[in-house]
Amino acid sequence: MAKTILAVDDSGSLRQMVVFSLRAAGYQVTEAVDGQDGLDKAKGQVFDLVLTDQNMPRMDGLTLIRSLRGLPTYQKVPILMLTTESSDEMKNKGRAAGANGWLVKPFDPQRLTEVVRKVIG
Amino acid sequence: MTSEKMLGSQVKHLLSNLSDHGTQHLTEVETDLVQTSFLLGEAIEKLGASFMAIHEAITAQQEAIDLLLSGAKPTPEIAEQIKAKHSEIGKHVSAAVTGLQFQDMTSQLIGRTVARVTGLRDVLGGIGSGSSTISENNAEEIISTLNSINKVLEEQSVKLESALWKAVCQTHMESGDIELF
Repeated sequence: MAKTILAVDDSGSLRQMVVFSLRAAGYQVTEAVDGQDGLDKAKGQVFDLVLTDQNMPRMDGLTLIRSLRGLPTYQKVPILMLTTESSDEMKNKGRAAGANGWLVKPFDPQRLTEVVRKVIG
Repeated sequence: MTSEKMLGSQVKHLLSNLSDHGTQHLTEVETDLVQTSFLLGEAIEKLGASFMAIHEAITAQQEAIDLLLSGAKPTPEIAEQIKAKHSEIGKHVSAAVTGLQFQDMTSQLIGRTVARVTGLRDVLGGIGSGSSTISENNAEEIISTLNSINKVLEEQSVKLESALWKAVCQTHMESGDIELF
């Protein structure tokens, strides 16, 4: 059975690229348009991995991660940030919030797939 | 200090503030637009190169298929050629996917630019509104109004600056770093 991934990003074109890359690698990807949408979808289904952007309307990525880590079902689910933010300050905030990794945009599909495979198989 | 000197001081302060804050915001706008232009230029260049490379690889692949369809015996060389072209297409599609992400970055930069221009317009609008209340005869009132305008200008400018965190520092369309914690 295919592993499930929740891709959270307010940019439709970026989500399209993530979905294209990960579906081609055999993963089942669900899209969310911002942090709040991501949280709502995560409450309805436990995904194997969450891939989230940082700067989004309604709820940003760090708030989403903190909210997910507060749910019993998401305490051990890998969460990766995929964002344009590249400062150490933001990475440290991500790590403190409970992120398992930080990917700086733009991403290379092959490298993204390799990382996802390394994290969830 | 005489009223005239105080008035002169307030006018000087206002002009200096206006120049400093206006320059600061417009410089940021300029930087963001230049960065947007770099990213767009590089993305178009990369997408164009990927498009042409994919076209060439597909043409070569089609030639190999046409050869087989015309009755040629499938040889390991032809099979290897088709396989190599398939791999080449995949590589160029990946490069195109990286290039296509320009929209995400440039839209953030443009959004920041628009917010800064709008904010600056509001600051200038505030100065215009404040100046309309200046009395033409009473120096004390003029000084007081200019002082208020100065404070509003500084507050609005700082508020605008703090709301505009720069999230995109990329100047190239190369794939970014990956760090697992």
